[in-house]
Amino acid sequence: MYLFRNYLLVFNILIFFQVSIFANNRDSILVIGKVSNNPQKHYSYLKPMLNYAVSHMKDLGIKKGKVLMARDNNQMIQYLQEGKIDWITESIFSALIYQQTTNAELLVRKWKKHSPNYYTIFISKKGNDINQLTDLKGRKIVLEDPGSSTAFYVPLMEMINAGLTLEFLHSVEKKPSGNNVGYIFANSEINIATWVFKGLVDAGAYNNEDWKKVDHTPVVFRKKLNIFHKSDTLPRSIEVVRNDLPDPIKKRLKSILLNIENDPSARNVLFAYQKTKKFDEINEDINNELNRARIVLNKVHENLNSL
Amino acid sequence: MTMIIQCLKKINKLIFLILIPSLVQANSDLKPLLEVLKENETISSEQFEKIVDAVDNNDKNNLGIPAQINTKKNDEKELLIKIDNGLKISTYDGSANFSVGGRMMIDTAYYSDDKQPIGDGTEFRRARIEFNGKMYEVWSYQLDVEFGGGSADAKEVFLSYDGFTNKRIKIGQNKAPFSLEELTSSKHTTFMENALPNVFAIGRRVGILYESYQENWTFAAGFFGESFDNDVSKEGDESWGLSGRTTFTPVSEDTKVLHFGASLNYFDQEDNSEVRFRSRPESHVTDTRYLDTGKIKDVEKQYSYGLEFAAVLGPFSFQTEYINTHLERKIGGADDLDFFGYYMYGSWFITGESRAYKSKSGKFDRVKPLNEFGAIELALRYSMVDLTNGSVTGGETDQYTFGLNWYIKPNIKIMGNYVRVDNDINADEDGGVIGDDDPNIWQMRFQLDF
Repeated sequence: MYLFRNYLLVFNILIFFQVSIFANNRDSILVIGKVSNNPQKHYSYLKPMLNYAVSHMKDLGIKKGKVLMARDNNQMIQYLQEGKIDWITESIFSALIYQQTTNAELLVRKWKKHSPNYYTIFISKKGNDINQLTDLKGRKIVLEDPGSSTAFYVPLMEMINAGLTLEFLHSVEKKPSGNNVGYIFANSEINIATWVFKGLVDAGAYNNEDWKKVDHTPVVFRKKLNIFHKSDTLPRSIEVVRNDLPDPIKKRLKSILLNIENDPSARNVLFAYQKTKKFDEINEDINNELNRARIVLNKVHENLNSL
Repeated sequence: MTMIIQCLKKINKLIFLILIPSLVQANSDLKPLLEVLKENETISSEQFEKIVDAVDNNDKNNLGIPAQINTKKNDEKELLIKIDNGLKISTYDGSANFSVGGRMMIDTAYYSDDKQPIGDGTEFRRARIEFNGKMYEVWSYQLDVEFGGGSADAKEVFLSYDGFTNKRIKIGQNKAPFSLEELTSSKHTTFMENALPNVFAIGRRVGILYESYQENWTFAAGFFGESFDNDVSKEGDESWGLSGRTTFTPVSEDTKVLHFGASLNYFDQEDNSEVRFRSRPESHVTDTRYLDTGKIKDVEKQYSYGLEFAAVLGPFSFQTEYINTHLERKIGGADDLDFFGYYMYGSWFITGESRAYKSKSGKFDRVKPLNEFGAIELALRYSMVDLTNGSVTGGETDQYTFGLNWYIKPNIKIMGNYVRVDNDINADEDGGVIGDDDPNIWQMRFQLDF
């Protein structure tokens, strides 16, 4: 019996150490991620920034970095809830959804592709008599997908604010009833421009950068298209951290990101990180933009749920 | 009677449960009906809640909003499988991926003879299968096997360490960093064959290569031996060398590019002291190589340099290169030799596309048509090379090529080239054919890559 008790004690100690080691392993790893349909490409964006951050957190016990991408916002929320991810780089509405669903913290604004902010534009084909949002009554508009900030949430909000009634269409052949505005998803920016150009829909909405990018709006299309409405600006991208990430790590990460532009050795890192110019503190102006976006998010969801 | 009612209730329940999914899909306004079914005990309270949840979530789907149901399928090692350009499989943590691709190029050529006949015909210019992938986050590999010549031939075969930011180290066989046109993939060249100065390109060699890039420049340098398929029966030390290339791209936008590049190459011939430069007339169906220096003996060292310039402005582009090669002969042997060549060409996408440039590697990339019927490109090239110097009379050729390309899809292309050849008297395949032969060449390529 004595021998058995000793074995039990040793076993318990081993279990304890194993659990401790396992727990320490997770605590010593910083995990970055984003929603992705191309993990191979996005891995090369995220890894250099992750390595840079990890190299500046050694004294906090961070020994390793890991990339983890989610297929959609639902999976990302689950990762946040389970503590599997620490740091996310995403567009504004995804960031707000993570904040609302998991109390995730919005850390800093990212100047993705050198831009501090962007906005939604509404396009139509020249000569089809659409000059303002109310001209969309009884017509069809194409958006990107239900996770898009500037090609879903903002355009819906702009249309709701203009007093329009929205109706989701399952296919491009369907028509909205009465004076409703029928919206449909194209799943890519190039499809938005193409569908408008070809007259499959009456209008489309995406962001000002999509308009300039020939991959998204070919020059030959642009000449035949017309911008008839613009939204207010929004922060280009937000860095988010999980709510229960230890404070010293949160603070250090924030400090690393805010100071990275002053480190000449980090130029490669910023370039790889979606051509980011710098990060800045969420100040009053950005907070105002975020508050506007929160209203958009809630109002859009409210309106959709009440339809 | 009670038994019959019970039985009917059970059948009713069974039918209803079978039909629930389709009912949910067909009509979301089921709540009143569900209430009735719950009241008469056709369904339990638990079943009622489940169906209502399903209906609510389906309502959201009808609005285009993804249902906020937390699925338990959250495996971090879940695979993403894509079949767009070939088969691509990757993990969601980005630590591993694998892809299979390939390219097929089927050529046909008609030679309008001048002094001597050249055989018209067809060939598989390239029939290649390509495997590449990544393991353990930082280790990548590539294995390309070419079957176009009738036998298997290894092309790119290397492993690579990618653990540094914006740089990597490759070990194996790959193209030595020299010349813009040589480094641009054969899938993305404007003309069917590279210009004549490509005769000086180093090509694929076994060695170690370092590559790096910044926002507007690239640098690559390597230490190389000979190629994978060199004659292993030959005794003696292999030749070895160093090769480097740098590019500077002050402008690199979607439709505007300004590219400058320079390459240097040094080769020590060691025990392989024979060098031979020879070239077909920008057409590969024929085996006639008008330009041929024959075997140049007693070569000790080989130095080459190349200068590159390219510009893209909307649908227009211009590209030019100059390459010079110097052969240092053994002391007491024959004189040193210098050969050179250059080309220049312009292209115009009449359908509005722009040539795509890859700033991370300083070379051109895939053109994506903007229209359903594809993209049409017109191009005109002048190229020359002079392989006559000192006692070596390899010949000189000037060639003019008109190209018409139809990019049916990003991965499918038809190319047509008309080549006007102007050989000098020494361009005689080292005595194998008559010099000063000036044929015209009409050739086409059907190309698909995946």
